[in-house]
This record gives sequence, C-alpha cells and structure tokens, in this order.
Amino acid sequence: MLRQRPAASARAIFLALDRARAAARSLYVHVPFCFHKCHYCDFYSIVDRQDRQEPFVARLLRELAAIAPWAGALDTVFVGGGTPSLLRVDLWQRLLTGLHERFRFGPVAEFTVECNPETVTPELMGVLAAGGVNRVSIGAQSFEARHLRTLERRHDPASVARAVALARGAGITRQSVDLIFGIPGQTVGEWEADLGAALALGTNHLSCYDLTYEPATALTARRDRGEVTPADEDVEIEMFAVTLGATRAAGLARYEVSNYARPGDECRHNLAYWRQEQWLAAGPSASGHLAGHRWKNTPRLDDYLSIDDGGFAPIADHEPPEPVRAIRERIMTGLRLTEGLDARATLASVRAECGHTRAAALASRAEWHRASGHLIEDAGRWVLTESGFLLADGIASDLMGAVD
Amino acid sequence: MVVALPYDPPSMAPPLQIRNFSIIAHIDHGKSTLADRLLQATNAVSAREAREQHLDSMDIERERGITIKASAVTVLHHHQPGQTTDELESDFEPPAPEQRSGDAAMRGPASLRAPVAASLPLYMLNFIDTPGHVDFNYEVSRALKACEGAILVVDATQGVQAQTVVNAYLAINENLTIIPVINKIDLPSARSEEVAMEIEQVLGIDAADCLYVSAKTGRGIPELLAAVCEKFPPPRPPLVRQTRALIFDAQYDDYRGVIVYVRVFDGSLSVGDKIRMMGTGRTFNITDIIKYTPKPTRVESGTIGPGETASIVAAIRSLKDVRVGDTVTLDPDPATEPLPGYQPPRQMVFCDFYPATTAEQKGNDFEQLRDSVEKLSLNDSSFTFQPVHSDALGFGFRCGFLGLLHMDIIQERLEREGGVEIVQTAPTVSYEVQIRGDKPPAPKDTTGAGRSVEVVRIENGNAVLEVHNPADLPHPGSILEIREPICRVDIMLPKDKIGDIMKLCLDRRATYKSQTFVSDARDLVSFEIPLAEIIYDFYDKLKGITSGYGTMDYEVIGYRPDNLVKMDILINGDPVEALSIIVHRDKAEHRGRALLRRLREQIPRHQFEIPLQAALGAKVIARETIKAFRKDVTAKCYGGDVSRKRKLLEKQKEGKKRMKSVGSVNIPQEAFMAVLDQGE
Ligand SMILES: Nc1nc2c(ncn2[C@@H]2O[C@H](COP(=O)(O)OP(=O)(O)OP(=O)(O)O)[C@@H](O)[C@H]2O)c(=O)[nH]1
Ligand code: SF4
Ligand SMILES: [Mg+2]
Repeated sequence: MLRQRPAASARAIFLALDRARAAARSLYVHVPFCFHKCHYCDFYSIVDRQDRQEPFVARLLRELAAIAPWAGALDTVFVGGGTPSLLRVDLWQRLLTGLHERFRFGPVAEFTVECNPETVTPELMGVLAAGGVNRVSIGAQSFEARHLRTLERRHDPASVARAVALARGAGITRQSVDLIFGIPGQTVGEWEADLGAALALGTNHLSCYDLTYEPATALTARRDRGEVTPADEDVEIEMFAVTLGATRAAGLARYEVSNYARPGDECRHNLAYWRQEQWLAAGPSASGHLAGHRWKNTPRLDDYLSIDDGGFAPIADHEPPEPVRAIRERIMTGLRLTEGLDARATLASVRAECGHTRAAALASRAEWHRASGHLIEDAGRWVLTESGFLLADGIASDLMGAVD
Repeated sequence: MVVALPYDPPSMAPPLQIRNFSIIAHIDHGKSTLADRLLQATNAVSAREAREQHLDSMDIERERGITIKASAVTVLHHHQPGQTTDELESDFEPPAPEQRSGDAAMRGPASLRAPVAASLPLYMLNFIDTPGHVDFNYEVSRALKACEGAILVVDATQGVQAQTVVNAYLAINENLTIIPVINKIDLPSARSEEVAMEIEQVLGIDAADCLYVSAKTGRGIPELLAAVCEKFPPPRPPLVRQTRALIFDAQYDDYRGVIVYVRVFDGSLSVGDKIRMMGTGRTFNITDIIKYTPKPTRVESGTIGPGETASIVAAIRSLKDVRVGDTVTLDPDPATEPLPGYQPPRQMVFCDFYPATTAEQKGNDFEQLRDSVEKLSLNDSSFTFQPVHSDALGFGFRCGFLGLLHMDIIQERLEREGGVEIVQTAPTVSYEVQIRGDKPPAPKDTTGAGRSVEVVRIENGNAVLEVHNPADLPHPGSILEIREPICRVDIMLPKDKIGDIMKLCLDRRATYKSQTFVSDARDLVSFEIPLAEIIYDFYDKLKGITSGYGTMDYEVIGYRPDNLVKMDILINGDPVEALSIIVHRDKAEHRGRALLRRLREQIPRHQFEIPLQAALGAKVIARETIKAFRKDVTAKCYGGDVSRKRKLLEKQKEGKKRMKSVGSVNIPQEAFMAVLDQGE
C-alpha cells in the first residue's frame, strides 16, 4: 500500500486511466455531517458547528465535475454519510441539479439516499423524489428506546414509520430499514420484536447488522472499561437464526451476510461493491474503485475543503492495480453473497496469476470447508451454508491465504 | 591480518621467562575487564585501540556482555623480581570507550606508555580469559590444562559465588598456583576484607594472599603483574625428547580453515613440520604459527618451544578433523605416550529446531536451516545435531547443548547468522533406558530420519539406550527401567532464604547433601537434583526467592533410575510427539493438567471444538476442551471497507504463518514451550 501525504490528489490516478475503458457505472457520494456522534459509529462524520454545508456542496460539485468524464451511464448512485438527510433542502436541490448536469443516468438507475428518521420531512422527500431519488435507506437501528440509548442514537422510535410513510407518499418506491442486533442487554425476544416492527412497515429491503465493536469508537471504549457487556456468542447466533426465519416468512430473502430483500429489490449499488465492479467516489473519506485502482479521499473535511487539485480531492490511500490482490478481494466479498463465488472462474484466474500449485491449494481449502459443512458447491459456485455465513471471515481469510 | 611479531621469542630465551595462566571467576566478576587492563598495562593494546572487554570479539559476546569462548593471548612484560611495587604508578584513568580521537587517546598515563627499561628481565605472559557461565565450564577446564597458574577473580561486592567455588576447585585439582584477586574495589559497596575472609573460609586460600584491584580504574594492576611474574611457576621442563603439544582449543576461520590452539609441553613445533594427531592418527603440514597479541601475529622464527602457547594453521578443513584434548606430535619422530587429555563436553540439554514456515515452503526452509546448522557447527563443535522428522512440525534437527544458555545462543546465532526463523521445541534431557534383550528396538517410522536412539552398552544381556527425545522411547512393554541424569547442585545463598530454597529443591525431587559456612550471612548448600527438574525455570526461581543474591552451579554426576513415564499429549485426538514429555509418575497428573491449561490458552479457537488430552499409554489422565467459535463474521462490508477489511483478514492469515498445523489445528509456536510449565 502506498501511503500518500494528504496533499497528493486523486488527479494523478485519474489522468493515468483510459477514459473509455474506465467507464464507471456507480457513484458514491459522502456527506460527512451528523447531529452528534453515535457511540458505535466509525464512519467519517462530524458534528458541524461552523456551518460548512454550503462550502461543502460547492466543493463537492467541483469534485463531481472533475471525475465525471470517467463515468459511463450511471446504474446506481448512493449518497451516504454521515447523515445526508441533514443537508439543507436548498443545498440538496443544488446537489441534485449538479449531479444531473454532470452525469448521465442509465435506464435502470437506482438512486439511494441514507436518511436519519428524524430528519425526514415531506419537503425533503419531495425534493429528493423530484431529483430522481428512488430509494431511501432509513437508519432505525432499534425500536426500543433503551437500546437506542445504549447506541447513543437520539431518535424517537415512532419516527421510523413516519419516515417510511413520507418517502412512500413522495413517490420514493423503494425503502430499506437498517437494524442492529446483539446490543448489550438485548434479549432474543426483544430482537424478534424489533424485527417484527421493521417488517410490519412493509419495506422491500432490510439490513440487520450484528453490532460490531469498531476500534476507536466510544462503545468499544465503554466495553473495554467494563461499562457494557457484549452479547453472548450463543445469543448472537440465535439472533441470526431468528432473523433468517422472520425475513423469509415476510418474503424477504437473504442475499448478503446482513442484507435481506424482496427478490429484485436487492441494493444494486452494494452488489456492485461486492461483485468488485467499478465505482467513482466523491466527498471526504469516500473510496473509489476504478480499473483496478483503489483509493480513498482524505477523511478530513478541512483538507477536503481547502485542497482542490483541479476539482480532484486529496487522497489518503492508494493501491494501484494488482491482479492477485483483486482475486483475494473477489473471494472476500464474493463469499458474503448468497449467490457465492464463481469457483471455476476464480480457480482459472488463480492458475493464470499464481500457477497450478496455488490453484490446487485453493481448491483443497475449499474442499476442506465443504467437508466441514460450511460451504457447498452449487452450479460451479462456492456458496456458504448458514453455519458458513457465521464464519465468513475465517473462511475468507483461509481461502485468501491460499492465494499469494 | 597477520603481521610480523617484533620479537623472536625462542631466540631471546633465556632470559625470557614464560608464564602461562588463566583468568577465572564467577560470571560478571570482571575477568574480561581485568584482561583489558593487563593488555594495556603491558602496552599490548594502546590506549587508542582499547575498547571494553577487548577479548570478547564475537558480536553476541559484545551484545550480551558475556564471554562465551575462551581467548588466549600473548604479551611481553619487563619485570625486576623483588622490585617494590610502590615504585610503580598504579592508578590511571582508563580511556572512555567512545574516545576515538588519536590526540586525546595518546595522552594516556605515563606509566603505561613508556616502555620500562629494556634491561629488565623479559617475561612472556600467555593468558586465557575464560567464560564464567556454567554452560561454558568446559572452556575453563580446557584452558587450565594449558596453564601453571590461575588468577581467581572475586567481585568485592558480591563475594564468593557458586562458579567461584567450582572454577577454583578446577584449578586446585589441576595443581595450579592460584592468585586470588579481589576486584571492583572502586565500588562504594565493596567489602574487600570480608570477601578475602570468604575466600579463606570456603576455598582454604590464605586471605593474606589476596590482591586488591580495580579492573575499572587500574588500581592494583602493577602489583598483580608483579605477582604473576613472581608467584606463578615457569613451565615444567620437557619430560621427553619428542614433541608433545596439547590441543586446548580449536576455532574455524573462513579463510584459513581450522586454527588449532596448542600448548607445547615437550619438543617444539615449526612451520613446515608434518604433524600427527595422536588420538585420530591424522597428519597435517603446519603452514603458519600465530600468536594473538591480541592482534593475530605471525611468529617470525616459525618455531615455538616448550612452555609456549600459540595457534597453528595446517590446512585443516573441518573442526571434525580435530579433537580438542588430543596431543600433537611430529609424524617423523612421534612420541609414544599422549599427554593427559580431556573428556569431551557432554550435551545435557536437547531440543528440536524446525523452520518456522508454512507447509508449502517447508522444503526450502529446511535446506536453509541445514546449511546454517552445518556452518555454525564449524564454529562451535560442542553442539550436536541430527535430522529429525515430526508429523506435526515436518523436517528439522534435534540438537544437543551444554546447557540452556548455550541453547539460547545457538538459536539466536542460527536466526541471525543463518537468516532462518526457527520453531523450537521445549528442551529435554537425555535418558538412559534399559530394555529387555540386547537388540535395539526397530525404528518406529520408515522415513528413518535420524532417530536419536543409540545403544550405549549392554548390561547383563540387556541393551541400554540413550534417548533424548521422548518420542523415541521404545514400547513401554520392553522397558526395564528409565534412568535420568542427576546433578550435584551447589547453591550459594543468604542464610535466611535456606528454608525457601529447601522447599523449592524438595519439590523438585532433590536430595539434600550438605551445608557449608561461607560467612555470617551466607551458606553453601548442596543437593542432588534430577537435571530435568532444573533445566528450565529453576535458576529463575532461585533468583526470585533470593532477590538475586543466590547463585548456583551444577554438574551431572550420573544417571539414576526412577519411576519415570512418558506422557503423551493429544490434540483433537492426534498425539503430538513434539509435546510428549517424560515425567515422574507422581507428578504426571499435575504436570498434565498444567500443560493442557497452557495449551488451552495458547491455541486459538477454531471453527470446531478441539479436545486436549494428556495420556500415559492408553490411559487419559487429564483433559481440556477448546470451544469452537461459531461466529466469525463482520457484519458490515461497504465499499470503502474493502481495502481495510482485506488487510485485516490478511493479517489474521499472517499470524497463522508462525503457527504449525497438526491435522487441521493451528498451534502457535509458544504452545510447544508449554511443556515447560512445571505446574507450580
Ligand atoms: N566498578 C567496577 N566495575 C567493574 C570492574 N571490573 C569489571 N567491572 C564491570 O563488571 C561487569 C562485568 O565485567 P566483565 O569483565 O565482562 O566480567 P566477566 O567476568 O568477564 O564476565 P563473563 O565473561 O560473562 O563471565 C562490566 O560491566 C564491567 O564494566 C571494576 O573493577 N570496577
Ligand atoms: S451512525 Fe450515522 S448518524 Fe450516527 S454518527 Fe455514524 S454516520 Fe452519523
Ligand atoms: Mg568475560
């Protein structure tokens, strides 16, 4: 990995690319503002007390203009954060207009905006819908006030249903709700209740995340100080099972470790990530993937605002293309999907890049996991079983280790 | 580089007088520093060349601040017998080690720079700085055989310690003249007179004979040099006409092959001579004779005579061609009787070295390990090695060492000089196993990769095997008895700690032998303890109990049978040979439980449950379980995460590389040392 000084910008990466070949069909935009910092969150977000929304949008539009030539007709756009719905409505208008001026949208364009339930207003939903947004992802996390407090999320549980209704009313047809389970003190019964409440909203997509203790978050510090006790492993495993059962009954199928959708309503943008397709990225801390390059914009808003290299943003990290690394990444994310990983294609690329011995080693590791009941081979694809999904990291790390 | 010696010793004799002596002491009492002062006081090393512990030339010696190899040097010194020492200036400031500038360095003390009047009688002093650590005791024994005298150094703050006693007795048994020297008298905490009394009390050497010096400031050095010239006897006159020279050391040099250190007792050796090693019968031609002054310096006349020490170069390719302790004679006119030699040092501690790599790279790394082991054995002939194969760890070497420090040093040198990473199994001792019948047992596996079993002798029609790997024990049904090495352990310690030490020793199956008065505060207590009980943490425990004041020395005195059994460790149902140990039956359960507890902590959880068992034969005496982890998945993997998450998973995998896999269980290297847990 090349660790660059923050002053280095994405420009050099882009200019070296062949525009025709690099045509990305997905775009991620990061909006870094939040009301306050949630205790489990390690996304880049700030509580903005200086009102830098306006300069931010201006700067973002310059970056979008700079990178647009490397985009084809967009299939998916995802605006995440932070809390994008915190952006003032007039700024949203400018951003949406700017996006349409700079990018072409393909016929199946999926356009998602992440929303905090408290910030969803009829006015905002109207502006979004008019600007082409057809999907919202609503961060509910839990419907229990007590658990929301543990997470330091400050919204009223009832606001979630309101937000879904407002989105629907504005004509935003696809909604997703985010939930978290494995919260300290949460029982399996309480989780079933949360799930039920979310499913009752009738959304066509649900994300259920097992609470993760990310390094350098307030929650992790509280755990390390013994102020909160993480959920027992057995309880979490039961919660996974409960989730699978309840979503299935509601007509949602699991398509990734933590994601469930009515067939056809999977989040295409996220699938682009997991299938290792190309995407452009704008905004602080946003990461892109283009022609084998991976890079990440500077996470600091100050740097993002003050350093402007012909519109390109300063970058924090850059990994130039490397075919073997790409294979490992494909294994890692492919295994997280229920569609699995194309075993034949993977073995063929390993053979081509690393030789027969490595390919044989990979096949034998896969076989070992198959014999352990964690993986099946289905129509030439490696697909994790239900117990395998629970061990996806270890299995991925093992298979990736066979490729180097 | 070899430069010409500015003098020609044999032709200058008489009046050239020769004195051969060693400097011996407990570890860190200042032998090497004292040697520095002798080199400086005799102008052998100018102030400009001086550095601390000049004779400790190996990197590892300089880093650890200890002497590992004995070094022999030759210096010249003018001395008028009977001259009172008050006339000599005796104090000087040694140069600071970092003082490099030639100018400053030349301003050394006048008494050191000005050569003493050339008319005074000239002495050739051959002396050997020896290691103090118990593992390298054989170096001391060898050195003493080449000498008539020994300077016994005792630290004025620490007093007589365990190795002081052992080394002094080595010298006394060789009939050497001893000059007791109390060192470090510059330290405020020095208790010089008391220490002199301890020497008298413990060793029976008159306290009045002690010299008081500071190897740091140089105080007392001139008096010491005078005593060396006057008290140490000259070499004995030749006994036979033919040449006889004792090999007291040998070292491998990349350019010149083996360099053989000899002490001539009878006759002489010259460049061009065809020599014969009396023990092995091999012959070589001397191409060079070198002395260390301490620079390697060619003897211009090409001849050395009776009483002299020097090293000879004779196109000898491997250390295996030379036996230290052998006698060199001339091939055309050989002596009939060799000089009394030495026992070769005996390896007491054994462990396996395996390359620390993933299964896929095993082949290469084994080759690399083999190269480095072979190369190192050229430099150090006192460790043994033979290839082994273990199901768990693949191909490696079973190595024998003189002690644990020696093992540590060899491992470090292999890793450093050979560039190989090593997985080391827990050290064990060697056992004598008497089996029914006089046939060695059939090798257990067909690879036959160097099983470490050897029939050492036949007793009443039954073979006695030497086994230094528990995995090599023959079938229990054929074993008549298992004998283990027993040591005499001498412990010097503060009187108020005797109770605690007694308890420690008795826990380790010790037999109490004796207690000797050293001073009002300290005693010397002797035990007989099985070597297996002391090789690992005994010394640390002793240091802990005595707050660092206790010291110990041990010597293997023989083998004794006891109720010893082999305990196997099964991981996931598979016996792991590298974890097998031989234990006393009464301690087996306790040790087994402790070991499994350690393994449970050290082996990471896997995706399946791992049973751990300790067994004697088919009987399981302890068990533990490592629970399977059933969940190992990160909930969120969004686009920007790909790089970060990939790195995390790769790091996990990296960690596994240092592990060895047994069946499908990954075992970290430290787990192989879990065997050492005494369960206390
Ligand atoms: N103050 C003081 N320190 C000394 C004196 N002599 C030696 N030392 C220090 O004692 C330590 C040990 O000295 P060495 O000369 O390495 O001891 P050694 O006996 O050769 O040690 P081994 O070879 O490891 O057995 C070093 O730190 C020396 O600087 C002395 O006369 N006075
Ligand atoms: S969880 Fe969402 S709202 Fe909370 S701090 Fe993180 S980005 Fe902001
Ligand atoms: Mg020394």
